[in-house]
Amino acid sequence: MGSSHSVFSEQELNDYQDLTYFTKKEILHVFKRYKDLYEDSADENTKKTSSLNKDKILKLPELKVNPFSDRIVKVFSSSGDGNMTFEDFLDMMSVFSDGAPKNVKVEYAFRIYDFDEDDMISDQDLKEVVDRLTGEQKLSKDEMQQLIDNILEEADLDDDDSLSFAEFEHVISKAPDFINSFRIRL
Amino acid sequence: MSRDPRGDPSSRRRDEAVEMSQINPGYLDDSIGRDPNHQVINMDGRIPWARYGSARDAAELISELPSRQLDRLVSDTGKSIRARRKSQKTALHGSLRGFPHTHRPTNDLTNSMARNEELMDELDGDIRTNEVLRGMSSHHLTDKRQIKHDVSEKRKERTLSRKKHHEKLGTWKTMKYRVGMTWIHFKNNLKEFGYSLELWKSLMKKVEGHFGTGVTSYFLFLKWIFLLNIPVFILTFGFVVLPQILFRYNQPVTTVDNNNSTNVTSYHVSFSGEELLTGGGWFNDTELYYGYYTNLQVAVPLSNSIKYDMKYAYLFTCGGYYILCLFILAFSISKSYKKNYVEGSSTTSFYNVTRVLCGWDYNITAKQASDLKHKSFYNEMKEYLAGKGKKKKEKELSDSCKWFFIRVLTNLIVLGMIGGAGYLIYYILDKNLSESDVHIIGELTMPLVISSIHLVFPFIFARIGSLENYEKPKHELYIGMFRTMLLKGALLGILVSYWFRRLPGSVYCWETKVGNELYRLVLIDFIFILGATFFLEFIHKVMANYCCTEKLKEPEFDIGRNTLDLIYSQALCWFGTFYSPLLSVMMIVKLFILFYVKVVSCLQNCRPSSKAWRASRTHTIFLGFLFFFFLLTTVAVAVSIITIRPSEECGPFRGEDKAYDVVTNLVDSWSGDYKVLHEIVKVISSPGVIAGVLVILCVGTYYMRIVMVGHKEMVTLLRHQLTMEGKDKAYLLRKLQKVRSKKKEKLVQLGQGPGRILSGTAGLREPPEQGGKRIFTRKLVLNCICFYGKFSSKWKWYT
Repeated sequence: MGSSHSVFSEQELNDYQDLTYFTKKEILHVFKRYKDLYEDSADENTKKTSSLNKDKILKLPELKVNPFSDRIVKVFSSSGDGNMTFEDFLDMMSVFSDGAPKNVKVEYAFRIYDFDEDDMISDQDLKEVVDRLTGEQKLSKDEMQQLIDNILEEADLDDDDSLSFAEFEHVISKAPDFINSFRIRL
Repeated sequence: MSRDPRGDPSSRRRDEAVEMSQINPGYLDDSIGRDPNHQVINMDGRIPWARYGSARDAAELISELPSRQLDRLVSDTGKSIRARRKSQKTALHGSLRGFPHTHRPTNDLTNSMARNEELMDELDGDIRTNEVLRGMSSHHLTDKRQIKHDVSEKRKERTLSRKKHHEKLGTWKTMKYRVGMTWIHFKNNLKEFGYSLELWKSLMKKVEGHFGTGVTSYFLFLKWIFLLNIPVFILTFGFVVLPQILFRYNQPVTTVDNNNSTNVTSYHVSFSGEELLTGGGWFNDTELYYGYYTNLQVAVPLSNSIKYDMKYAYLFTCGGYYILCLFILAFSISKSYKKNYVEGSSTTSFYNVTRVLCGWDYNITAKQASDLKHKSFYNEMKEYLAGKGKKKKEKELSDSCKWFFIRVLTNLIVLGMIGGAGYLIYYILDKNLSESDVHIIGELTMPLVISSIHLVFPFIFARIGSLENYEKPKHELYIGMFRTMLLKGALLGILVSYWFRRLPGSVYCWETKVGNELYRLVLIDFIFILGATFFLEFIHKVMANYCCTEKLKEPEFDIGRNTLDLIYSQALCWFGTFYSPLLSVMMIVKLFILFYVKVVSCLQNCRPSSKAWRASRTHTIFLGFLFFFFLLTTVAVAVSIITIRPSEECGPFRGEDKAYDVVTNLVDSWSGDYKVLHEIVKVISSPGVIAGVLVILCVGTYYMRIVMVGHKEMVTLLRHQLTMEGKDKAYLLRKLQKVRSKKKEKLVQLGQGPGRILSGTAGLREPPEQGGKRIFTRKLVLNCICFYGKFSSKWKWYT
C-alpha cells in the first residue's frame, strides 16, 4: 500500500479504526494533516510518536480562529498541557467528525465549556463562553447578567445556578444546529 | 425552606463552610471523592470546592450512591448500546461519563470491564468493548488502546480456562458471531469506499471554512438533488433508452417506415445547431423525446422467445422513478422534520442556551468569517436583550388596524402580480399556438418571459415584504419565500393546464411538443441562473470594489433565492421526465456545472452574511417545498396518463385510448393464466379496500397524535417533578450537613473519636501537606457513612 501506510502497522490501524469514528483512509488523511503541522521535515516515524507543541497545534486553520481553541487542545491533550500526540489529534478529529454520534460530541462540548473543570458549567463558565463568543466587543455587565439569567432560567432544571452534564445534554439535544456546528470537516 | 441560600456565587465559593447544595446534583465527579490526592486543575484562580474537607465528604457520600458505581456505569453503557442497536430511534443518554480530568490508572476500568459478562463474551465481547470504549470521553486514545489490549488479554485467559472446563459454544452463537463480523467488515469497507467516492469534499470544506454552515447547506442541497437524479437517470436509461437504442439498430429501417411513415417523413431534419437552444428539429427524432419511442416489442439479443414490450417498460419505469423519488423524499423530509422540529420542540424554548452553547461554528477557518461571526453574535445578543428588556408594548388599536390593512393590500398586490404574470404566460402560449410557423425567437419567448419573471419578482416581493413591518426578520424571509414558491407553482400550473387542455389533438405528437417546451424551460432557466450569478454576484462585486464603494457592499450569498431556483429546476425535471426521458441527464449536467460556477462565484465574489442563517430549520422547509412540487408534478403526470388521449402517430402508447389502458389491458389479460393475480389486483384496486386503507391511515395518525400530546404532558409533569427532586435533595443534604457539623463540634470538644483508630492506615494515603486535617477528615467520613443509612431511607421516601 501507499508510503504513508507503512508508518502504521496493520494492528495500529485496526485499533484506530475500532476506537475512533474513522475508516483507515480517513485515519491516514488525519495523519497527513497532523504531519503538515510540523514545520520541520522530520521523518514520519518521529512525527507519529512524538508530541506536537500546543502552539503548532493551534495553527490548524479551524483552531486558529476558534475562540475555544485553548480549551479544545487542553481537553484532548493526554498530557493535559495542550501538547498533542498523533493519537490525541486523531481522537480530537474523530470527535469532531461527521461519524461521531451526538452524545459523544455533547460530552466533549461540555468539557470544553467547563472552564474551571469542576464538572459543572457555572455562571462564571457561561460568562467566559459569552465573552469569547462576542470577541473584541463586550456585553455590558447588566446585559451579561441578564443573558446568564436567561440561560439559567431555560436550562437549569434543579435551580442550582449551574448546568450539570445532564442539563447540558438535555438542552443540546433540543438544538438541531449543534451537530452541524460542532464539527470539523476532514 | 427549600430555597437555597445561594446568594452571590463568588462569595459562596470562598466560604469555608461550603453549602452542600452547591454540590447537590448527582452528576459530580466522583473521582474527587474517591481520590484524596486529586487536585482539580485550576483555570482562572478560583478555588475549587473539592479542596474543602466538608465538601469532599459530601462528594464521597455521593460517590457511594449505587448509581455512581463504575461497574454499573459500564454495564449500563453496554445495555444502552444494545438498545441502540435494536432501535436507532432512542437517543443514547448516559454514555460512560467516567472520570474526566483525572488520569487514573487504566487498571480500574480494565478490571471493571473484565467483570462485565457482556464485554468478556468470547465472541462478540470484542466488538462491544470497542463500542463502549469508543463512546467514552474519560480516557484518551492511548489509554483506550491499552485498555482494549488488556481486556482482550483477560478475555483470552477466560476463554482458555473455560475451554478447560469443556464448555462448548453453540453453533448458532458461532454463526451469529461470524455473520456479525462479516457485516462489520463489510460496513467498514463500504465506508472506506464511500469516503473515496465522496463528491466535492474539498470544495465543500473550503466553502464551509469561509462561510459557515449556512451557505454550505445550499451546496449540500444541490449535491443531494444531484445524487437524487442519478438513480432516476439509471432507471430511465436502463429500462427505456437502452432498449430503444437497441431497437433502433436491430430493426431494419423499412419496418419503421411501414409502421409510421408520417413519422419518418416529418422528422427527418438535419442537425442545424439551432436545436440546441430550442430542443426541437433534429432532436425530435432522437431518444430525447417521448415521440420517438416505439410501441413495438423489442427483440432481446441472444433470445428469440423473450420480447421486451416498450409500452410496459415506458409506463412502469415512469411509475418506478416517481415511487422511488417519493420514498426518498418522504424519508428525508420525515427525518429532517423529526430532527429539527419534533426533537427540537419543547415546552420551553431554549433560545438563549442554544444561541450561546451552539454559538460557534467549528468549521470556520477564515479570519474574515470568524470576525463576522463574533460581530453577528454580539449584535444578535444585544438586539435580543434590548428587545426583551423593553417588554412588548401594547399595540394601539389604530396601529394594528393600519398594519392589517397594509398587509391585506400588499397581499392583494402580490396576488395581482402573480395573476398578471400568469395571464401574460397564457397570452404568449395562445399566440404561439395560433401561428403555424414559429420562429426561433417566438419559441423562446415563453421560457424567456418565465425566467425573467422568476428573476425579477422575488426582488419585488422582498421589497414588499420589507414594507410590511414584520416583527421578526424570520417571518419576512419565510413569507417572501412562500410568495416566490406560489409564483413558481402558479406559472407551472398554468403551463401544465394549458398544455393538457389545448395541445392534445391540435398539434402533431403533443407529448413531444411538451417535451420541447420543457427542454427550453430547463435550458433557459439554466442560462438565467448563470446570468444572475454573473451579474448579481460578479458585476456587483466589481462595482462594489471599484466604482460605488460607498453605496454598494460586496454581495452576500442569497441562500433562499438560490435554493428556490434549484427546487424549481428539479420540479421541471420531474414533470418533464415522462415526456422527455433524458431530461434527467440534462439536469445532472446542469447541476454539475452549477455547482462549480456557484462555488467559484461564492468564494470569489461573496462575503459571509452578517445575519445568522438557521440551516437546520430552513432545510426542512426547503424539503417541504420540494415535496410539494413533487406532488404537483406527479399528479399532473398521473392525470395526463390516466385521462388524456395519447397521440395517434407517435410514442409508445399510440393507438391506445388512454396511456393507462396499457395497465388495465395487462390486468385483464391475466384473468386467463394468472387468475389469482388478477383477483388480487382487482380487490386491491376496489374502492372499498382503498377507503379502508385510508381510514386505517387516518386512525393511525390520530392515535399517534394522541400519544404525542400525552408525551408532551408527561414531559411537563416530569420536568416539574425534577425541579422538586432537586430542591428536596438540596434540602436533605443541607440537613445532613447541619447534623454533621454539630457532631463535629462534639468531636472537637471530646478530642477523640473513632477516627483515631483508623488514622494509621488512612495516613498512608493522605498527602503530607494535609497532615493535621487528615485525621479529622477520616472522622467526618465515618460520620458521613453513619448518616448515609438515615439519609438513604429518607431519600427513598422522597423518590
